Amino acid sequence: MTGPNVDALLQTLDRELERGRGLVADARTLEQVEAAEVSVLGRKSALADVGRSMAPLSEDARRQVGRRANEVRGQLTEAVAGRRRDLEAESERASLQADRVDVTLPGHRPRPGSLHPFTLMEREIADVLARMGFRIVEGPEAETEWHNFDALNIPPDHPARTMMDTIFLDAPGDRTVLRTHTSPMQIRTMEAQPPPVYIAVPGRVYRNEDVTAKNMPVFHQIEGLAVDEGITLADLKGTLETFFRALLGEDTNIRMTPSFFPFVEPGAQVEVTCFVCAGAGCATCGRTGWIELMGAGMVHPAVLENVGYDPDRFTGFAFGGGYDRLSMIRFGIPDIRMLWDSDVRFLERFEGLA
Amino acid sequence: MRIVVSWLRELCPTDLPADEIAERIIANGVHVEEILRPWDGLSGVIAARVVEKHAHPNADRLTLATLDTGGGAAHVAAGVANWEVGDVVPYAPPGSRVPALDQPLGVRTLKGEPSEGMICSPHELAISDDHGAILLLPPDTPPGTDVAALIGLTDAVFDIEIEPNRPDLMSVLGVAREVSAATGVPLVPPDVSVTESLEPCTSVASVEVRDAQRCPRYVARVIRDVRVRPAPLRAQARLFVAGMRPISNVVDATNYVLLELGQPLHPFDLRRLDGEAIVVRRAAEGEAIVTLDDVQRRLTAEDLVIADRAKAVGIAGVMGAAPAEVDDATTDVLLESAYFEPAGIIRTSRRLKLSTEASQRFERGCDPETPGPAAARAARLIAEWAGGRVLGSPIDVGSVPERHRLSIRPSRASFFLAEPVGADEVRGVFDRLGMASEQTDAGEVEVEVPGYRIDLRREVDLIEEVARIRGYARLPSRVPCIATAGGFDDTYAFRRRLREAMLRGGLREMVALSFASPGDLGLMGHDEDDAVRVANPIDAERGFLRTSLVPGLVRALRLNLDRQRRSAALFEVGHVFRVDGELRESERAAFAMAGPAWPGYPGERREFDVFDAKGALEAVLGALGVDSWHVEPVDHWPLHPGRSARVLLGDDELGWFGELHPRAARDADMAGRVAAAELDVDALRRHASHAASAADVPRFPPARRDLSFVVGDDVPAARVAGLIGRAGGDLVDAVTLFDVFSGDPLPEGRKNLGFSVDFRAPDRTLTDAEVDAAVTAVRDLVAHEVGGELRTG
Repeated sequence: MTGPNVDALLQTLDRELERGRGLVADARTLEQVEAAEVSVLGRKSALADVGRSMAPLSEDARRQVGRRANEVRGQLTEAVAGRRRDLEAESERASLQADRVDVTLPGHRPRPGSLHPFTLMEREIADVLARMGFRIVEGPEAETEWHNFDALNIPPDHPARTMMDTIFLDAPGDRTVLRTHTSPMQIRTMEAQPPPVYIAVPGRVYRNEDVTAKNMPVFHQIEGLAVDEGITLADLKGTLETFFRALLGEDTNIRMTPSFFPFVEPGAQVEVTCFVCAGAGCATCGRTGWIELMGAGMVHPAVLENVGYDPDRFTGFAFGGGYDRLSMIRFGIPDIRMLWDSDVRFLERFEGLA
Repeated sequence: MRIVVSWLRELCPTDLPADEIAERIIANGVHVEEILRPWDGLSGVIAARVVEKHAHPNADRLTLATLDTGGGAAHVAAGVANWEVGDVVPYAPPGSRVPALDQPLGVRTLKGEPSEGMICSPHELAISDDHGAILLLPPDTPPGTDVAALIGLTDAVFDIEIEPNRPDLMSVLGVAREVSAATGVPLVPPDVSVTESLEPCTSVASVEVRDAQRCPRYVARVIRDVRVRPAPLRAQARLFVAGMRPISNVVDATNYVLLELGQPLHPFDLRRLDGEAIVVRRAAEGEAIVTLDDVQRRLTAEDLVIADRAKAVGIAGVMGAAPAEVDDATTDVLLESAYFEPAGIIRTSRRLKLSTEASQRFERGCDPETPGPAAARAARLIAEWAGGRVLGSPIDVGSVPERHRLSIRPSRASFFLAEPVGADEVRGVFDRLGMASEQTDAGEVEVEVPGYRIDLRREVDLIEEVARIRGYARLPSRVPCIATAGGFDDTYAFRRRLREAMLRGGLREMVALSFASPGDLGLMGHDEDDAVRVANPIDAERGFLRTSLVPGLVRALRLNLDRQRRSAALFEVGHVFRVDGELRESERAAFAMAGPAWPGYPGERREFDVFDAKGALEAVLGALGVDSWHVEPVDHWPLHPGRSARVLLGDDELGWFGELHPRAARDADMAGRVAAAELDVDALRRHASHAASAADVPRFPPARRDLSFVVGDDVPAARVAGLIGRAGGDLVDAVTLFDVFSGDPLPEGRKNLGFSVDFRAPDRTLTDAEVDAAVTAVRDLVAHEVGGELRTG
């Protein structure tokens, strides 16, 4: 038996390297790469045979053949891996290509909701008042004449009552009017608790009016009431300044002028710097620079007496006003009927504020 | 209320410009809404005497005049010819302006004759609507006199909003008092002195007041031998811009005093009063009277009338009647100047829907001290304008109430104003207002309240006087120190959450009016007797309060579809009302949707239906943390009997969801399906969770088995799901329906329900044997309870 010939082994290795490179380069699929790998690097490959046949060789020869065998194995392994990477990349490219879509098509969007501008305005207002320390409460819309009128110092046959365009209800029981203002909640709250009272009341109120571009028989008001020891006109003024600055901007000023509401004395109407023109005068404010937004005043002692509070010990202020007009100005709504029309083209404008 | 500023200046002679006056009294609480300048466009019009009058040679309708203008002659053509040679007329020469025309006048040629400017009607001078005749000026007016100055067509007019507590401002004098207080210029009250003849009123007339409560004071004066003619132009112009129609010197004198002093007066023709008597009495029930507006009115025993011995001649404080009216033939006048109780006037005026200058003042409250002076003032003006004799000893029934005195503590004023206010300053305020005051030993200021200030009743009213005359602008500013926590009441906080939950249901908020029409009630199948009726509706559409939010939502859907909107999904949160023994008010949250569920690609093309309503409901309830609710099919109008359900939680009914009955949808003009839901807000609030816990988040993986059952068509899926949960006990963690089908290969009347069931234990991974045992239990129970077979493979 003849021993292995070093030269022959080295030639085998060179041949295998050549053959393997050829097989790998020719492989068109991952399966063909796999087959090539088995053929040149597998346990039955010529390369493996070379390894097994080295034992009888001298140490020198073994080292020489072994080094070469490792080089060849390394190069072939690298060639296989490289080819595999190429093919995998190609396959991924193809599958991504097949997966392409038109990205300008619309997205799968959950159906959007939106809040009504009245709600948005009410939230802004209630948030500010709650931060200032007022508790936000609500009351019934069908009211008794006591809560809506008498307790608020508006006796029967008083012009302030007869001029109010009240909507009357024909129903058993004593709730016979739709509230004409949010002020009945002043009475309900004070009847239910002792002072101090700091509340604000948003809600629907009613007047028997025709629908026009500026008036609706239903509108929204915010009412504020503070009753405590030591409350003065200065507290009213400061509270309104703080409120309107938080709501409309730090540059807002308020102007109070004497005015009459039966349930306050002294009474005031409250104007704020026009927030459209910053007081310069524009169409919104009738060129005056001011917008009238509220009535206010010190709670009338008769009202305090009606709920059993001692007007010598406790004083209070109240303020109230509609915020429908405020919503119209804030959101640029030209006609109040749009707010009540429920047209989605209008409602969807408020999607971004939900 | 219109106040002529030149008249105001007669009673408070200030030189301030009108807008400055307005600004000052506005700051003190007089609501000048607008400053009108009706005569801004009037300049250069002069008096001219007609010296020649000719027919126009080429036009029948024109007449030519030659005028003496004081500085020469002028030739004009006029369209009316009510003037004669010698008359003095207003002449607008070329270059002058009149309010009725935009451009200054020029020289025109009318049908071949030159016309230099024009001669003017009252309309062109803005002192009347009358343009059918040329205005004739007093014959002694020198040609060349400026007409605007002559008639008082200068200065501005204030339009003042009168608040119900200040009827005293419904007069020039009342506003003049405020101007005086605001400027410090002393008041010059109108002259009420009158020269009386020796003949006393009592010798020619009598007054009997039978209801002293409704008529506490009645003053009558008699003026004899008057000549009824037009009033002076200056007075007519003032009445006209104040909104009253000039009638005659006698009637205009009473209206003039009404505007000036705020006291309504009424002149009667004395000779037409039966028995020369005035009787103030209640009307007989059903008594008829034809008022001056030519309307026959039926009175009740509640109404007060002015009568003579035979008949009613006026509704007290509201309007006179024809039988005793002053006309051109009148020579003797009985002048009424009375005080009527406000509440009675309000009731009569409201019942008759008749509101007049007089009733508006009486119902707010006139000055009980003024009838005497007002009668004197009017008698003086009648004597001046109409001639005649004012009889002596006016008849005066009733008495002038004594003025009350009110105290104000400077310390209390200082407290309200948050600034020290001394007694001297307080007294200074009332001085300016023309009210007498004195300081008491206790340091209080006692104020004598005049009759015209009916609003001053308690100390706080006086404090307001101090505050407003000092000016609210002077108030310091501070915020109260609030010792309680603010924030949201529970119901308010919940409503905010509810609206957020609605957003998650993909719904848009809308609002509708709170009213319902009979059609709305019909749509919901609600009985009119159970609805709250509006006693004074503006129209039939608002005859009731709404019993449900759904009609409003459906109306809104239809409006959107009518406007070419493809679909809409809307919600509202609001109050509804019904009668159940008494009025019941509750709050609802409702939504409705119609049209394609998805407007275009990508997505399935289908209409909104019951499952969209239920899906939105699930999203809403999920966002509120309302758990363990279940549904029960429901069959009542207006719901679709096969596609609607009640939503229940324990004993509480939360509401319903589903589709409207196709007939109900058609009644509401909806072509396709309408999916909707309505929920009770209180019930939702009771069951909403306000806390969350992560203590039992599962740590071990579930064993998932897909179980398909074949059951009868009529077995609800929820029933099978419930049985799975019951049989599997604590080990069943989740049951998800993933498939429903019927038809081949299933036999008729059977359907397949596929459930994906997660079995899980909180403390360990389940073994296959445990899960198999649970599945067997499930199979057996479903088979036993609803005859379902578990399909294998």
